[in-house]
Amino acid sequence: MRPTAPAAQEGAAIVLDSVHKRYGSTQAVDGISLTVPRGEFFGLLGPNGAGKTTLVEIMEGQRRADSGTVSVLGQSPWPRNVKLLPRIGLQTQASAFFVRLTAHEHLRTVAALYDADREAADRALASVGLTEQGGVRVEDLSGGQRQRLAIAAALVHDPELIFLDEPTAALDPQARRALWQVLRDLKGAGRTIVYTTHHLDEAEALCDRVAIVMNGRIRALDTPAKLVAGGSPTTQLLVPEGRLTLAAAQAIPGVLGATQEADTIVLDTLDSGPVLAAVDSITGLKGVRTRTASLEDVYLELTAATAQS
Amino acid sequence: MSAYAALSTAGYRAYARDKTTLFFTFAFPLLFLVVFGLIFSGKEVEQSGKPYINYIAPGVLSWGIANAAVFGVGFVLMQWRRDDILRLIRMTPVRLSSVLGSRYLLALAIGLVQAVLFVAVAVLPWFGLSLSGSWALALPVLALGITAFLAVGVIVGTYAKTAEAVAAVANCLMIPMAFLSGSFFPLDAMPGWTQSLAHALPLYYLNDGVSAALTGSGSGADIALACGVLAAVAVVVGAIALKTFRWSDKS
Repeated sequence: MRPTAPAAQEGAAIVLDSVHKRYGSTQAVDGISLTVPRGEFFGLLGPNGAGKTTLVEIMEGQRRADSGTVSVLGQSPWPRNVKLLPRIGLQTQASAFFVRLTAHEHLRTVAALYDADREAADRALASVGLTEQGGVRVEDLSGGQRQRLAIAAALVHDPELIFLDEPTAALDPQARRALWQVLRDLKGAGRTIVYTTHHLDEAEALCDRVAIVMNGRIRALDTPAKLVAGGSPTTQLLVPEGRLTLAAAQAIPGVLGATQEADTIVLDTLDSGPVLAAVDSITGLKGVRTRTASLEDVYLELTAATAQS
Repeated sequence: MSAYAALSTAGYRAYARDKTTLFFTFAFPLLFLVVFGLIFSGKEVEQSGKPYINYIAPGVLSWGIANAAVFGVGFVLMQWRRDDILRLIRMTPVRLSSVLGSRYLLALAIGLVQAVLFVAVAVLPWFGLSLSGSWALALPVLALGITAFLAVGVIVGTYAKTAEAVAAVANCLMIPMAFLSGSFFPLDAMPGWTQSLAHALPLYYLNDGVSAALTGSGSGADIALACGVLAAVAVVVGAIALKTFRWSDKS
């Protein structure tokens, strides 16, 4: 028996404590500690090769950590824990389908592996909008449909904790937004979701908290809003071309710099109020937009800084 | 539906919807039977005085069944590992015994259909096989043969990483073994050293047991020996297969 987790962490879906994993000379995970409370939508961001996949595989119980402790829904996922597995759902590769079956037959098979019923397969198929494609062979589905089927396989047994690996990578904008709604509904139903993505706008829109992983360590971990607030304090004003010359823009007090981007003059400032007033007096504010730092800016700053150090 | 039933159903559907595999499982061995049967129709093997069909029918049947067992599970395991199906299965609470058990059930069913089909063709007047009264004893021999060769297929499927590799390894094993075990050509008409070598090959015992049961070419003791050897091969190779089985190519 493992020692029980401290009382404060009893409600946590995942508790990692100084987890390490090395492959040969590569330290894939280098001392990661984090806690994901139940019901949280948790994003894992980071460049390719940062250790995200290894970290997720350790949480899923597919890999053993070299050192540190891993607790998932209060249990150890390693070695293969058949009591824990039905409570976890994971999106597989979009190629992991039983060959020559239809989408519906594939999901029914996966449902049966979890001891879930036929209706569960119907529900999962409907939740990702594939009901109409239920009779199509998995080989004949489009890339986006295959991706959604792989997600449905993660949901079919109604798991408490769901791992998704770049779930919207192959989706067109409509399907992506539709999936966001699926994910929000899952969160609304109290599920815990851990997901990796390269879409920073998506992480900002969906995640309660995000961790940015670099070189096997957590470089930043907070809510998207707090990460953004802690990032670059610069605000940009975007003025349509022809309304303001670059020289005139640079002459406005409080403007740190002005550049031309495509058909727009971009003004950098730390204090947008007075600069907006100045622009208003020169050319009026029609068509003028402001742009503050996004999670993507913060992410790029952090990853660039770590790459240089 | 239980996991075992679901995997068996999925396996059956994948099988029945694959025309290439169906051809190589049923039509291809049948082609051998028809061609050899017609070439040697009405002829007898000099050394034993028995009709050729008494050698060819059990021989092609044994080879066809053993081949289907090795290739079937070998391809499926390779493909399941390559496409991450095994990873998917491993992340469900299903046991390995259900996974392999479903493949076993499928292999037995395929073997039974093959046996019925090949024997039904061989007893047609053009080929002229006459069944001995002990034909039903072929069933345990075939079941044990399928078990032994299925275990071989599991090992092939564990180490081969591509379809080409499965085909190459399985063919390298099965084609020479078929000739050396007398599947296509009567061992009685072969030199003495070939006959001695044959006794080291599991397919020889499958041939011999099936032949004894179907044509009455041997005694009950021959059938019992065939069963015993095939069971021993199944246990040893099966143990190696379970020991070496991998869910993933990743470490």
